[in-house]
Amino acid sequence: MLTRVAGGEIVDPVNGRLGTGDLWVEDETIVPPPTGRKPDLTLDAKGCVVMAGAIDIHSHIGGGNVNTARLLLPEHHKAHAPRPGATPLAQLGWTTFETGRLYAQMGFTTVVEPAMSPGAALHTHLELADIPIIDKATLAILGNDDFLLSMIRDNASAAMIEDYVSWTVASSRALGVKVINAGAAAAFKENVRSFSFDDEVPFYGTSSRKIVKTLQKAVTGLGVPHPLHVHCNNLGIPGAPDTAAETMAAAEGLPLHLAHLQFYSYGSEGKRGFSSAATRLAELVNTTPEITIDIGQVMFGQTVTISSDVLRQFTARGSANPRKSVIIDGDANGGGIVPFRYSNDFFGSLQWAIGLELFLLIEDPWRVFFTTDHPNGAPFTTYPEIFGLLMSRDARAKAMEAVSGRALKLTTLPALTREYTFEDIAVMTRAAPAKLLGLKDRGHLGPGALADVAVYRKGGDIAQMFRSAAFVLKNGELVVEDGAVKKMRWGRALRLKTTPDKAMVKRMEAYHQQRYGLSLDWFDFPDSAIQREQPFGEVSCRA
Amino acid sequence: MAVAWIGDRSVPVDDAARKAAELLAASLCPVFSLDTDVHGTRAALALARSAGAVCDQFDGAATAREAAQYTDRGGLFIAPGEVRRRADLVVIVGALPAHHDELIAEFASTVPDLTGKDAERRFFLVGDDAKTPGKAKAVRLACEGGLEAALGALRAQCAGRQVTHGVSHFDAFAEALAASRFPVFTFCGVFAGALALEMLQGLVGDLNRKQRASALHLPASPNGWGSTLVSTWTTGFPLRTGFARGHAEFDPWRFDEARMLAEGEADLHLVVAEDARQVPAAPKGVHMIALAKTAKPVAGAAVTIAIGVPGEDHDAVVYSSRLGTLAAMTAKASGELPPAAGILRRIGENLPERESLPC
Repeated sequence: MLTRVAGGEIVDPVNGRLGTGDLWVEDETIVPPPTGRKPDLTLDAKGCVVMAGAIDIHSHIGGGNVNTARLLLPEHHKAHAPRPGATPLAQLGWTTFETGRLYAQMGFTTVVEPAMSPGAALHTHLELADIPIIDKATLAILGNDDFLLSMIRDNASAAMIEDYVSWTVASSRALGVKVINAGAAAAFKENVRSFSFDDEVPFYGTSSRKIVKTLQKAVTGLGVPHPLHVHCNNLGIPGAPDTAAETMAAAEGLPLHLAHLQFYSYGSEGKRGFSSAATRLAELVNTTPEITIDIGQVMFGQTVTISSDVLRQFTARGSANPRKSVIIDGDANGGGIVPFRYSNDFFGSLQWAIGLELFLLIEDPWRVFFTTDHPNGAPFTTYPEIFGLLMSRDARAKAMEAVSGRALKLTTLPALTREYTFEDIAVMTRAAPAKLLGLKDRGHLGPGALADVAVYRKGGDIAQMFRSAAFVLKNGELVVEDGAVKKMRWGRALRLKTTPDKAMVKRMEAYHQQRYGLSLDWFDFPDSAIQREQPFGEVSCRA
Repeated sequence: MAVAWIGDRSVPVDDAARKAAELLAASLCPVFSLDTDVHGTRAALALARSAGAVCDQFDGAATAREAAQYTDRGGLFIAPGEVRRRADLVVIVGALPAHHDELIAEFASTVPDLTGKDAERRFFLVGDDAKTPGKAKAVRLACEGGLEAALGALRAQCAGRQVTHGVSHFDAFAEALAASRFPVFTFCGVFAGALALEMLQGLVGDLNRKQRASALHLPASPNGWGSTLVSTWTTGFPLRTGFARGHAEFDPWRFDEARMLAEGEADLHLVVAEDARQVPAAPKGVHMIALAKTAKPVAGAAVTIAIGVPGEDHDAVVYSSRLGTLAAMTAKASGELPPAAGILRRIGENLPERESLPC
């Protein structure tokens, strides 16, 4: 099948292609313009922007904690049929099916679930397999698990730790590794109620810093393309910028990704002890090239916070709206589900403004990633509005009229005039995520790339443009037309190609028998358990 | 070997599936009762969506109570593996179904290894019906008024409030609680009512103000909880979800399969069961489609199709109470009986004007 996307404004920064032209697709792949052949399908892209399919590196779309959030809040999604926009969470994309549909309609073709408990990997992959159209991937959580903490306490060799990380990634079918408030979940089980970067985990005697450094070294050593993905300590606490700065400094020249930096950018100045530290952290990011970050932008309205940072979520229970929550002490991290409504009061306005400050103050679009930490800062369905705010200072000025003036005075946002270009957007949401995740086959429109393509009809309303793609191709198939899904298909979960060390497998078998009284088979599963044709795609490690 | 019947007549599976689809298409109010694995539930939900049917767990009152604990108030919960490794005080709240005996006995025969040297595990029982775990010693906390009253009194006493009827052996419990690093309370919806479950979570929440504590969910039906999880990610709701209006609606009263059948609302009952002996008689005027492991037609069923038992006759994914999550099970023998999922999909393929199945 030969497809021609005709006459669109191509925005492909990886290949330096910026300008009007045609894009050719044969079957699943982008191809050079063929000679003497007529296309089987021509898509008229005149007046449209043509980009690679977008990639979301951090969105909680599936797994035990996400499903518990659905279970906790049935009143917020009485149906997944279209509902009034004002209904809380109505556009959240609550079911697996809706998640795929809504992402595809916005031109997203790959989404990473960033917090998979390795012990519940099968559950996560079953959910992801039920998300249609898009490809998915997961990051396996380590850093509060007894096996790793015991190895660090007992001064295990770096090679042995690498073997354990490799086994975890392989058995859980993950694309990378995430550490969430390293050591804090283990400490919380010992009734510790606050935990910082250099605090020690009771029983193990190791610090959060040491856990992060150990995992960073292992991930780098194994050649995992995605740097260690770090959810720092002290999320949401005024004073957290110090923690974020300490963590950035601890990168020490090796790649490190800090998740949802907005939630760590709260200073403690002013009458309310709550201020913006975005300028300080943006400057740190600008001057620390080994650091990448994503934002975790807040938008106003009802949402639900879902996190494996069980200590932070336990502390946040009092702010639950509606007043119910779930806290889970898992085998390692566990998690917490706390519904929350962001309002445009002083605090909410400041959070909203801080996220935008970070977007606009961090200079390199290759190192700042577009996220709301769905659904923690806002549902992913708010992305089009955020694109509008980033690309238009007029849109920002209008939005600022509706938020707390006292909060804005504590930020630099009113003075920021930068406007993202389509090229910046293509870098931040396509090219850079592909590079960060090691996905060489996507994020660009060069010949040989996977034909994941998003075509947006240009118009005055940027948000509307990104909300309803004119066309979306996934693996070369036309799946969205005029903002509506035209064809259903099942995507794959991308996993890292890694072979676990046999000695480590034996060791894990003995550990599970001794500590849990169960064979290792209980913690693993065959690919056939997913019951989809080719549920996984493989990504190679760096040489 | 016959594997499908229309009435008492043995027929090819395709004929039985076609007949089942005809009955579903003609039904005004079909209701599905499930006792199956993850993939059976996935297929049943897809069929229910196409047929406008209601999905509930077979004999699902206890499962619905457990789901309500999440939907109505939330709470604090813990993984079973963490209980084995960390809980130095286990409080068994009310009676538990026999399928949890093995896990409770395991707690009794092991000691926590994550709470320091020489750790022990002590047991208390709440209510008159809670059973002593294996050979372990256990102290009973009970008072007049049943399980709800005992939990209410225990919560009040733990908070230092006066009560007219306190639980027995409270002082021993208070002493054990003070010494405990991680107490865990087990619960199950079979013998604990909604108020008992709510009071238990209130107690656990109170304790967490000063020390750690949590609650271990031991599901009334592991298959029921697995189906609850699948229904939640597929539809946004736990079981007791209906599709009559073309989209998913959750209503734990309205979509209670037992009530719908007893009150004459349902005119078709599709049952997926591991054992044909589980399948109840169809009420008068209700067509029954029975999918169960059987060598003969189910009495009174309009259509019977034999299926295998998940994890025995075919590979399966089931909820494991031992793990607290979903687990893959390899078939014990290569049986000839098909999984429920395959049969449900074949019925769906025979529905007229079938919508595209999202799952």
